[in-house]
Amino acid sequence: MKVLLIDDERLARNELRRLLEAFPTLKVAGEAANAKQAREQMAALKPDLLFLDVQMPGETGMDLLESLAPPAPQVIFTTAYDEFAVKAFELNALDYLLKPVDPARLAAAIGRLSARLPGAPAVNGAAPDLRGQLAAGDKVFVREGDRCWFVELGQIRLLESEGNYTRVHFGDAQPQLFRSLNAMEERLDPKFFFRANRRQIINLSWISGIEPWFSGGLLVLLKGGEKVEISRRQAQEFRDRMSL
Amino acid sequence: MEVTANATVSVDDARRRQRAKERLYVLCQTLGWSLFTVMELASTLAMPNFDNDRSRSDQLSALIMMVTMGLLMTHFFRLLMARWSWKQMNWRFLAPRILLAAVVGSLLWNGLGCAYTRGLLREAWSPKYSFPLLFLISWFYGFTLMAAWLCLYFFYHLFERLNRSEIERFQLMTSVKEAELRALKSQVNPHFIFNSLNSLRALIGEDPARARQAVTQLANLLRYSLQSGQLETVPFEDELRVVNDYLALEQVRHEERLRLRLDVAPDTLQLPVPPMLLQTLVENAIKYGISPRPEGGEIAIVARREGSVLRLQVTNPGEMAPNGGSSSTGVGLQNAAERLRLIFGAGASLRLRSDAPARVVAEAVIPLSAGA
Repeated sequence: MKVLLIDDERLARNELRRLLEAFPTLKVAGEAANAKQAREQMAALKPDLLFLDVQMPGETGMDLLESLAPPAPQVIFTTAYDEFAVKAFELNALDYLLKPVDPARLAAAIGRLSARLPGAPAVNGAAPDLRGQLAAGDKVFVREGDRCWFVELGQIRLLESEGNYTRVHFGDAQPQLFRSLNAMEERLDPKFFFRANRRQIINLSWISGIEPWFSGGLLVLLKGGEKVEISRRQAQEFRDRMSL
Repeated sequence: MEVTANATVSVDDARRRQRAKERLYVLCQTLGWSLFTVMELASTLAMPNFDNDRSRSDQLSALIMMVTMGLLMTHFFRLLMARWSWKQMNWRFLAPRILLAAVVGSLLWNGLGCAYTRGLLREAWSPKYSFPLLFLISWFYGFTLMAAWLCLYFFYHLFERLNRSEIERFQLMTSVKEAELRALKSQVNPHFIFNSLNSLRALIGEDPARARQAVTQLANLLRYSLQSGQLETVPFEDELRVVNDYLALEQVRHEERLRLRLDVAPDTLQLPVPPMLLQTLVENAIKYGISPRPEGGEIAIVARREGSVLRLQVTNPGEMAPNGGSSSTGVGLQNAAERLRLIFGAGASLRLRSDAPARVVAEAVIPLSAGA
């Protein structure tokens, strides 16, 4: 598994590199001192896992994640002391390591990661093609205020256009994603996601009911309680799709 | 950013108190003179034959004139006393002034009163009493009233002043305690400590000698920050030594991103400074000047003795927070500014300003005479 270390301190990167020597399945492919370098390195190296410092000069680790095109990479955060960040991770059971890093905690985090990834440790297949289609198990990174989520696409019921952003509905939350709805549509798997109208994309596996609506349209009820109109133009395609 | 939050609050407070006092004054004047009018009326009616040669309407007119004059004169007194700041005087200076004011005030009051009754109402002189005797009695009566008015006025102010100084003393005590508590809490920045420990861990393998040195520096810094909460001031030399340790640790972390320039005049080293003041300024400079920029920058520390003040300047690259820094920038510096004010008084100051594009200077001015 290819690893990229992202931390503004050279010594912190060295320390992590030394700690990772104990894990033969992981190979440190590169290092980055800030978000800009990280993006370059990610494009060049296509790492499978990031060790990401939350506090960095310029863009923070969260800013970096938000700027990446989905799917979100596998990430283990590192932080010295940051109550907000720690709280945000705990909410989502994301993995984070406190610096100085405890080798036992590092081993546990890597163990959990291997368990989470489907298949062998050499996972995530080849790094996904950046323009390719997203699978239902792929994750996107979203953030609202202090909270952040790695949410699986399969858990998203509804995507709504809000200008250049997209509001995603899942669980009890509906944070914004820093991508336009059109950009998201290109990447979403049409087997699961359907463009209901100009502003909304629904996840077909979350539909709980369908009603006829005005002028040949349809009203779709989602399991989260949302009601979405399907325009007349899209209704025919929707019927075709559902009857398949 | 000039630290003015507290000052604004107290100005608002003072304004509110001033309005309340104004209302109380109007109320007291109205009630007092109404009571006086009622008593005068009652005594006139009770003694109908005292000067029965005057008609009732003339009596009433004279009374109204007297009350109006009294009201205006006491009001005028108040304005003059405010201008001559009698309220700030102590009793030894105030007593003769009150007597003099009552003598002159009553003369004026009676003189104008006589002029009014004799001149305008054209009252005939009652031969029963001689004019000087009547005037003397009337003058004495007026003098008593005026003196009583002034005494009441100053008793109230004396009482209020005592009350307020007591409240202020308590407020100061509370804010000292709060500042102490905050100082204790804020002295050790956990983010810095854990990052330093992390760097140290890496340094142990890379450069053991430098690692040993860094452990000592971190120990010095922690010890100093824990102990300094109990001291009001320390020699600048001590503070500077710890700041150097701190900067050495930051340089372990930031390496070439953090560049330093120290310019400390030798005659400043023995001067008293509040502990952790320079430390706070430098920490702030790194937090807002170095940490956020990938390319890093230079921190400059300048210390000068200028006449009766010690001037400390810490310069870092960066822009001022828009709109005076009501954000998190304020907290650390605000605490430092408050501590500075509590220890050294109004002569001390702590300001944040931009002296050149993309450069911010934090400047502390510490008076040398007071405090130490």
